[in-house]
Amino acid sequence: MKLRFSRKTLCIPYAVFLLFFVIAPMLVIVFYAFTDKNNHVSFTNFLQFFSDPMKLSTIVYSVVIALITTVICLLIAYPVACILARSKMKRKHIILLLFVTPMWINFVLRVNAIRELINWIGLLGETNYANTVFGMVYDFLPFMILPLYTTISKIDNSLYEASADLGANAATTFFRVTLPLSFSGIISGITMVFLPSMTNYVVSDMLGNSKITIIGKFIETYFGTDWHMGSMIALILLLVVLVTSVLTGGFKSEESVRGANL
Amino acid sequence: MKKKLSILLSLLFLLPVVSSLGGCSAKTQVLRVYNWEEYIDEGGKGSYGDDYLGLGKNAPSMIDDFEIWYEETYGERIRVEYSTFGTNEDLYNQLKLGDKYDLVCPSEYMIMKLAAEGMLEPLDKDFFDETNENNFYVNNVSPFIRNVFKNGEMNVPEEKEVDGKKVTEQKTVLWEDYAAGYMWGTTGLVYNPEGVSEEDLSQGWKIMLDSNFRKKVTTKDNVRDSYFVGLGIVYRDELLSLDKNADDYNANVTDIFNRTDTETVKKVQDTLLAMKNNIFGFETDTGKSDMVKGTILLNFAWSGDAVYAMDEAENQDVYLNFHIPEEGANLFFDGWVMPKGASKKEAQAFINFMSRPDNAVRNSYYIGYTSVIAGKEMFEYACDVYSAENEEQSIPYDVSYFFGEDAIIYADEEQLSRQLFAQYPPEDTMKRCAVMSYYGTQEERINELWTQVKGEKLDGWAIAVITVAIVVIALAILYWKLGRKIEFRLKPRKGYRLTDQKEIR
Repeated sequence: MKLRFSRKTLCIPYAVFLLFFVIAPMLVIVFYAFTDKNNHVSFTNFLQFFSDPMKLSTIVYSVVIALITTVICLLIAYPVACILARSKMKRKHIILLLFVTPMWINFVLRVNAIRELINWIGLLGETNYANTVFGMVYDFLPFMILPLYTTISKIDNSLYEASADLGANAATTFFRVTLPLSFSGIISGITMVFLPSMTNYVVSDMLGNSKITIIGKFIETYFGTDWHMGSMIALILLLVVLVTSVLTGGFKSEESVRGANL
Repeated sequence: MKKKLSILLSLLFLLPVVSSLGGCSAKTQVLRVYNWEEYIDEGGKGSYGDDYLGLGKNAPSMIDDFEIWYEETYGERIRVEYSTFGTNEDLYNQLKLGDKYDLVCPSEYMIMKLAAEGMLEPLDKDFFDETNENNFYVNNVSPFIRNVFKNGEMNVPEEKEVDGKKVTEQKTVLWEDYAAGYMWGTTGLVYNPEGVSEEDLSQGWKIMLDSNFRKKVTTKDNVRDSYFVGLGIVYRDELLSLDKNADDYNANVTDIFNRTDTETVKKVQDTLLAMKNNIFGFETDTGKSDMVKGTILLNFAWSGDAVYAMDEAENQDVYLNFHIPEEGANLFFDGWVMPKGASKKEAQAFINFMSRPDNAVRNSYYIGYTSVIAGKEMFEYACDVYSAENEEQSIPYDVSYFFGEDAIIYADEEQLSRQLFAQYPPEDTMKRCAVMSYYGTQEERINELWTQVKGEKLDGWAIAVITVAIVVIALAILYWKLGRKIEFRLKPRKGYRLTDQKEIR
């Protein structure tokens, strides 16, 4: 017997993985979200969530924290990525490495270190909100820098030359060439930062002394006592994520920029 | 040739399967034990076998020793499948999902919950037969703990036939009928005597609200411990007015610390919200190191953790104390229970082996919590750890309520508020320590309280403003994206051609 490997057969492992570890769990969550303790279909969790101001304000709060984190990350990461990508430095990959190295160190260890640092400065327990945002920014910055660096460094140099030839100054070049062409990098950066920072409660627990509660923490707490409500919150978070994805266009399969084929 | 090779290979793969089928003979029993993480002597470096017997990293684990002991005693081979959980709720969920275990070790309230849902097997009568020398539990358990287990009541469902119909009724049973203790402790406050005076401590749990200790005190990040503190604050006056010499003092304290009526829950919720503004934070395990570093001065602690924190601090020349507030504190224990369908004989043998005093010493040395076992070796171990070096300056510390008659440890004076006090609080202190039962029907309401305490409260207008802002941002993005389609798609000039429309968008 001869096995033929077509493209389709090569997909099978991933399809199986997808089925068992992505789709099936999702269905389980939907099942739990819309059932009660006796496994009868019920919408009480749904109604309860939207009638409880505390849960609503917590989710809004999480969105705000995530939003601030993303904006700060973008503001820091974009110039860095730009400078790195376009500099003619010989060893720029070493600098890039420096930005990425923290990712290789255990996350909990890093958060602990930050906690010590904040404690040393004397702000631990004083500025819980700022500490949390700081921790999130620190943690997610590499995820913003990397996609930006990749897209910007892929932009064809001749485009800048053309832009200069045509008399555009630096600002015009940036707004007409760099920014539009790095758009896909910005989007993947935002997706990589915004979504996890709504649920990364380790940071808020450690740096905000558990006095800052984001929606991920609620899911964790509810999964201790009430899986149905926990699933409902997880599902609602999924919806928020979906909306964000649609808005930022992360849903479209965008090939990264290949440069304009003029 | 190839065929032969493949047959050979497949035979090779089959070999272990066959050998395991043949070798283990039908006699090897399997005992599935589900316990807290790091809650048994796992042997190796730093275990009792290493530090006291010099066995180094080869010090055996308690589980290996049990398997050997079981075969020697009962002539049957047994294999322990040991797994661990992180919280009582994890354990509950695993059992609910249908995982099968023979022996599990939840805390007192979870035992009550499991019992109420009919998920437990009772212990055998033989288990309490004192004449059987292999019944180490009943022969060595501390009279104090035995008493607690004999007086504690919980409900189990019982199927009855009334007029030919099957009816499930709740029957009241004793804890002892279903559970055997393992480790126990109390809650209290670890404090730094350099920053906290006796007078400060006399406020009891109310110190959590004291503005002098603003951001200098932490409590636990879980609902039960926080609820307990809340009760202590709300009913402080009532608790202090109780007659401490009355026979039913402990019963009265227990009664107050088990209030779950709606009005109480509301009061506790308000108290906890006020507390949240004053404390440094809620913690699960950062409290110990924050105490040592001096970031905080007071820390709500379980006695076992308190001992660990005090030991750690001493290594860095910081001396911490342990205090059990006047109002009362929580007496908690973790106990062995058998889920429905367990292999009872083997499970009870395991409990007994864990309760053999020398093994109890090993376990409590490894874990740091106080064992429920009192036996001779246990007392010797306690004396060994806490006896004063200089006998003349020592103070007699009476632990006879726990170890039986004439059990007195001659300890340094400072131990009266340190490790010894935390591990074996004196009898009159234990009188104000109450077990907090399973919340029963109020469980949901009290979990809801926790949501309200922990959640982020935003005013209605703030939610509205933020929601509007987010919607505006969303619309702006949409508009920009639509607009971009027109604006950024530069039309090719004369003579140029776009090769692929899609790629440029």
